[in-house]
Amino acid sequence: MLNKSSITRFLTQNRVWQSIFRQGYPDTEENRAKVIVNTLFFHIHPVKVKKHSLKISYTWGMGVISAFLFLVLVVTGVWLMFFYAPSVERAYADIQNMETTITFGMLLRNMHRWAAHLMVLTVFLHMCRVFFTGGHKHPREFNWVIGVMLWVVTILLSYTGYLLPWDQLAYWAVTVGTNIAGVTPLIGEQVRLLLLGAKEVGPEALVRFYALHMWLFPLVMFIFIGVHFWRIRKDGGLSSPLESAEVEQGEQQSE
Amino acid sequence: MSEQTQGVFPKGPGKTYGLMELVKGTSPMVDKGPEDTVTSWPHLLLLEVLAILGTTVLLLFMSLLNAPLREFANPDVTENPAKAAWYFMNLQEMLLHMDPALAGIIIPGLMVIALMAIPYFDRSKQDVGIWFASKKGRAIALWSAIYTTVWLIALILFDEYIRVRSLVSEPEILPGWIIPIAVIGGLSGLLYLIIRRWRPSTREALIGFFTAFVVTYFLLIISGLFFRGLGMHLTVPWDLPPGALSF
Repeated sequence: MLNKSSITRFLTQNRVWQSIFRQGYPDTEENRAKVIVNTLFFHIHPVKVKKHSLKISYTWGMGVISAFLFLVLVVTGVWLMFFYAPSVERAYADIQNMETTITFGMLLRNMHRWAAHLMVLTVFLHMCRVFFTGGHKHPREFNWVIGVMLWVVTILLSYTGYLLPWDQLAYWAVTVGTNIAGVTPLIGEQVRLLLLGAKEVGPEALVRFYALHMWLFPLVMFIFIGVHFWRIRKDGGLSSPLESAEVEQGEQQSE
Repeated sequence: MSEQTQGVFPKGPGKTYGLMELVKGTSPMVDKGPEDTVTSWPHLLLLEVLAILGTTVLLLFMSLLNAPLREFANPDVTENPAKAAWYFMNLQEMLLHMDPALAGIIIPGLMVIALMAIPYFDRSKQDVGIWFASKKGRAIALWSAIYTTVWLIALILFDEYIRVRSLVSEPEILPGWIIPIAVIGGLSGLLYLIIRRWRPSTREALIGFFTAFVVTYFLLIISGLFFRGLGMHLTVPWDLPPGALSF
């Protein structure tokens, strides 16, 4: 029906459209397979998924939501970067400007802040979901390890961003946090010095946290998320009870 | 081509592929016929779009609440209480009860390593894909959660109103290291003895311990964030000084 409407025909029956979308509307099995395989942004999905993995009560969508929150954080974060300089003289005033004079500044800052907190929560809940449903087991052991690392990186990202507004909340939270790092056995003082670049939280720490927050941790995050998604595919999609049924069958056969 | 496969895969001149080898084991999708699967378009993508839209709506509503911005940072004015970000409040709560190196570095470090090690001990695939593995697993999780909650609240109250340090303060290694490690070790051991009554599988026993970890993680955040006021002493949430809620 859709293919027969004249507007649809006008839009889709031309070289430009067909050079972008190499398959017809995905209402047949073939086109539904093609649309996934042909599109960069879809092809991280398999063409077909287990029905079981689509149950909301199985995953609660925590993985997808975490990944989406990271995307929101990247977009709002880049936008915040336009109006922020990581210097003690400017940082606080920049945030005040963001809230009072910049169009949608307050909204974007709020979104960035709350998305970060939400992500710390959803990543942890995602980890709980995977454990309680047995998704960490063979062959997914290493993807679980990467997931734990992603959780740690998420916390580090959130924590390094916490200092940037340079207000009392940020200053003392980071003082408390780096004091904890400073009691690491044997190398405590060195770790603290590495993080702060000085004896106390000051301009050096602000620049370091900025660099870690804008560059190093997001990069690590992108790479680890990439590996995490890749391995979901390579390990046969999401876990499901079918796998334990298979084990039982295999055991019966080998008996 | 071996004799074994000749009948199954006859040679044909029109074929551009051939059977190379038979190996033992299954690929991830073996035996999952079309009845177990659906196309990602539209079934999976639709759910993803819904999750994304739902999150966006939630986030926009949350953003009606303004992100905190307190006074300009001042190293000479110490906040009371000085709190880390909320997701570190569990560590900061532990700092009140033991040596900082133990609470802030060693325990969290060991926890992360223990988490990563789980799948290398939990190897049976018997109950993959089932929440809490079994009825037994669900019972273990529930009782582990109750056990952990009761003990944590009791320990926090004990250390606030009776104080371990007022009973034993010398030498420092006792209240700082030995007593906390003994308490954590002892309570974990007791938890294991209780769990064993169910005759659990490895996975069901691990469910008990993981539940204890999750409950501890959240309870200590709640206690550190909502119930610690001036001087990090226990108080009720509505009496908290400004700045005690570190979001």
